[in-house]
Amino acid sequence: MLESLPTWSSLPVNLLANHSVATAEGPSLRWRSPRAVRTVEKSSAAAAKGLVLFYISLIVLIPLAALLTNAFNHGVGSFWNAATSTESLDALRLTVTCSLLAAAFNALAGTATAFVLVRDRFWGKSALNAIIDLPFALPTVVAGVTFYTLYGPHSPFHVNITGSWIGITVAIMFVTLPFSVRAVQPVLESLSGDAEAAASTLGASSFYVFRTITLPAILPALLTGTGLAFARALGEYGSVVFISNNLPYRSEVGSSYIYSLVSSGQVSSAASVALILLTGALLVLVASNVIARRLARRRG
Amino acid sequence: MKKQSLLLRVLVLAYVAALLGIPLLFVFQQAFSHGWSELWAALHDHAMDLAILLTAKVVVVAVPLNILFGIGASLWIVRRPSRLSHVLDVLIDVPLAISPIVVGLVLELAYAQNGWFGPTLAKLGWRVMFSLPGIVIASIFVSLPLVSRQVIPLLREIGDHQEQTAATLGASPIRIFFTITLRSIAWAAAYGVTLTLARVIGEYGAVLIVSGNIALLTQTLTLNIGANFENFNSYQGFVGALLLAFVSVAVLLVIAVARHRLERKRHDSFA
Repeated sequence: MLESLPTWSSLPVNLLANHSVATAEGPSLRWRSPRAVRTVEKSSAAAAKGLVLFYISLIVLIPLAALLTNAFNHGVGSFWNAATSTESLDALRLTVTCSLLAAAFNALAGTATAFVLVRDRFWGKSALNAIIDLPFALPTVVAGVTFYTLYGPHSPFHVNITGSWIGITVAIMFVTLPFSVRAVQPVLESLSGDAEAAASTLGASSFYVFRTITLPAILPALLTGTGLAFARALGEYGSVVFISNNLPYRSEVGSSYIYSLVSSGQVSSAASVALILLTGALLVLVASNVIARRLARRRG
Repeated sequence: MKKQSLLLRVLVLAYVAALLGIPLLFVFQQAFSHGWSELWAALHDHAMDLAILLTAKVVVVAVPLNILFGIGASLWIVRRPSRLSHVLDVLIDVPLAISPIVVGLVLELAYAQNGWFGPTLAKLGWRVMFSLPGIVIASIFVSLPLVSRQVIPLLREIGDHQEQTAATLGASPIRIFFTITLRSIAWAAAYGVTLTLARVIGEYGAVLIVSGNIALLTQTLTLNIGANFENFNSYQGFVGALLLAFVSVAVLLVIAVARHRLERKRHDSFA
């Protein structure tokens, strides 16, 4: 009598064992109504979407909204005054100039690099291909202190480019090199080279072939890559801050002016300048994408 | 023709060596310039070790969260497109256009004591600014799009034929995800994750503002390097930089392998 009754210790184990046997048969064999399955899928998909939106709101959207309201905290007038103060304008002008120079130079150098990577063959090419991504992998602050030591007051080469637009441009060139290379490279790879070969057989000079055949094909991608590089350059901080010396009105870039405003507690002014910088970068991205898409469409 | 391409090769190699190669080698040279015993002592610098620990903590929280978000958002954008997912598609790339300093600023405006959520957070006793959560949020912000930017194009390219076939054969969505979708995007995801990892470890500007840069407490490894450099202790700074240089070389290797695999996959699917 006593033996036939389940003991407390054996009961849950047995239940679990039975349960696991049931599931081992496989859920696919057990009939579930399609509607029930669909409701479960729908509600879990909705939950996942909700989480995605919650995450991006908490981290990106709400803080950006806070920037917008803080920039106009004390009215449009004070926003305008903070954004167009002499120090702010000087910093923004320097940022745009150096970014434009670096992005334009890297559009050239990046195209050349992509050309060598796709068309040339030599020992060590895969190492070259790998090191192009270094600016994505090496922290900007490491690049910053390294450039400062290499080309600063105690430079082993006796070159001092600190505190000038040259130093800032070099730092930005470091950061933005991979953008143009990686934009152009896949397009060049997809070009078969037949048209180019035909043109040069017909006697076209290699520059003429490049200008009339290769360049139009890579131009949309090159434009997108350069736009991305320019936008990234506008906000660059870590690699620039050491080599620039941050002299107000002379060698202070936009991001480091915003930092100095934040550290001196002028948060509203910082928000105003930041809004200008952010809008500029977004406009660059949108514009380069739109133009690139239009160019690509015209080519058909 | 031959001469021209040789000249181009030499010019490109010189440019890349001057801009990327020499600085990387210089980090190694500086860190080893005082000999092994000093390097060994510098590696045991208390402030730097605490900074490494903090960076590791940030990585452990921020990278997995961004992997989940990146893959989830990519699946939504590509497989279940809607008006809302189009908005998400645009929004997700916005962090790429924002200066790290501005990232730090906006997070301060939202989460600092006198920011939007400051009073509520203070009531709950949670501290976001000048502590680990703030650094994690800043790291997530700057590396947000890196996984999805790699995964979205590949998801579009491979299409959903295999997934639909599996579904008609009765496979559950979870099983389809793990056996088909995840397997086909694995290398793109690995590429994105590596970029995320590198960005989280290397972030400087955003973390500088959000953490307050307090030595021994809220200093990540990059902040520690910057601080050592500013305090004229550049050797110690370069020892920290050496560790990050090792990390970045490892990152480059993984990226190179991932890209190679992706190209082969693309090649196979067209062949």
